[in-house]
Amino acid sequence: MPSSNDWRGWCGGVAVQPPELAAPGIELRGVTTRFGDHGGVTAHQNVSFEVRAGEFVSILGPSGCGKSTLVRVIAGLVRADVGETFVQGQRVDAPRKDVGVVFQTSNLLPWLTVTENLTLGAVLRHQAPLPARVAELTETLGLTGFERHYPHQLSGGMRQRTALGQILLLEPTVLLLDEPFGALDALTRDRLNVELLRLWEARRQTVLLVTHSIAESVFLSDRVLVMSERPGTVTHAIAIDLPRPRHSRSVKADPAFGRYVTDLSRLMGVS
Amino acid sequence: MRRYLEPLLFFVALAAAWEYGVKWFEVRRYLLPPLSAVAVAAWSARIDLVEHGWVTLQEIVAGLFAAIVAGAALGLMIDASAMARRTVYPLVMALQSLPKIALAPLMIVWLGYGFASKVAATFLFAFFPIVIATLGGLESTPAHLLEHFRALGATPWATFRRLRLPSALPALADGVRVASPLAVVGAIVGEFVGAERGLGQLMLAASAQSRTDLMFASILCVTALALVLYAIVERLARLVWWRGRATS
Repeated sequence: MPSSNDWRGWCGGVAVQPPELAAPGIELRGVTTRFGDHGGVTAHQNVSFEVRAGEFVSILGPSGCGKSTLVRVIAGLVRADVGETFVQGQRVDAPRKDVGVVFQTSNLLPWLTVTENLTLGAVLRHQAPLPARVAELTETLGLTGFERHYPHQLSGGMRQRTALGQILLLEPTVLLLDEPFGALDALTRDRLNVELLRLWEARRQTVLLVTHSIAESVFLSDRVLVMSERPGTVTHAIAIDLPRPRHSRSVKADPAFGRYVTDLSRLMGVS
Repeated sequence: MRRYLEPLLFFVALAAAWEYGVKWFEVRRYLLPPLSAVAVAAWSARIDLVEHGWVTLQEIVAGLFAAIVAGAALGLMIDASAMARRTVYPLVMALQSLPKIALAPLMIVWLGYGFASKVAATFLFAFFPIVIATLGGLESTPAHLLEHFRALGATPWATFRRLRLPSALPALADGVRVASPLAVVGAIVGEFVGAERGLGQLMLAASAQSRTDLMFASILCVTALALVLYAIVERLARLVWWRGRATS
């Protein structure tokens, strides 16, 4: 491997830069998406931001501000009416292999076991996941002993871990999380957030998390983008300057954590 | 214990009420023979009942099987082709509301008095519920799962095989469950319209001779056939155990 300084001029004389320097993980330029015939409802309007490669960014916004639609635009599932969307410097016009999406509904198939659900994404992409990797991920996600269980035999938290594992097994460079733990109770949610952070710190994917929990966004993110009510647009970008690796107890006890939560609450018009 | 004892006692009481009620009220034998007379008639006609029952059973199984295969295939075709949805689907809906019994005489004209016309009648009764159920099942694939498969880059074939088909199977099983008693009706109706063999034909013959006891014996035989068939279908439907197990 050449060191980062050697990238220019490497690869047969063609000027090549490592992807993490060349392009942001995600970039949106003036994206507007409308729904219905003749653009009846505008989901979000003129949204522009970028997420650097390896950065963890959250989008905070009230319900109906078009943040979930934004995830679908970046995932290549919905086409924006105006503007451009790039992932790893390439224009998005269809679902991409380097992007993984985890939705609020766990999206497990009821007729498949935990292990079969974990490997489903890989199977659909004609990849054969290494059994050792599957076992490791099962262990990491705390699903050991439940490999042959079916989704209806699992708790909501375990279902969501399985869904997350299915995507992580694909080793996406860009991870889009659309309120992945939104349907869970607060305790399970906190626990899964800690696990998510640990997994991310090990791999450093580019992450865009959609949430409406202020504390969650502060705890996890490098930056928090605040969106306005529908038609939503990014009104503020707040850098969260808390040390990493973050541990639930120490971070939440940090006075800076509380200040961020207070500031963001004010920006969202909560307090 | 109660699970078996209570129904058993109930049916014993019902049989006793039939047996002694008929005698008590001196009901004429050609109207309603006592249960014991029906049992005697069934025993003495046991060879006929088995032979005719076997014919009827074959008609039911052949007609139902053909209806499942053809009904599921047509359902898949209508689902897969927008043109079939615009052309074949309205025709299916129109034919579904047509009383199938009206077609039974036509089957005799086209296919004769033998086995084929009865299978056709059975088929006609069982076919439409299966088409409708297949279509309903294929349409009911949860939208969030379809989106998830799209995000995973699944091909249309993989989406069909791994998502839409398994999602549709519980509905198809329901369709077969609805169709199986209708298949029995179809076979008997087919035999009523014109047949040389079969339990329906046996009933008609018994009726012509005022052998009400033999009629009842035939009716009990058909009922037993229908029950066994339903039990088998019910058992097979349990293979698609994920019915109603939506994830969220």
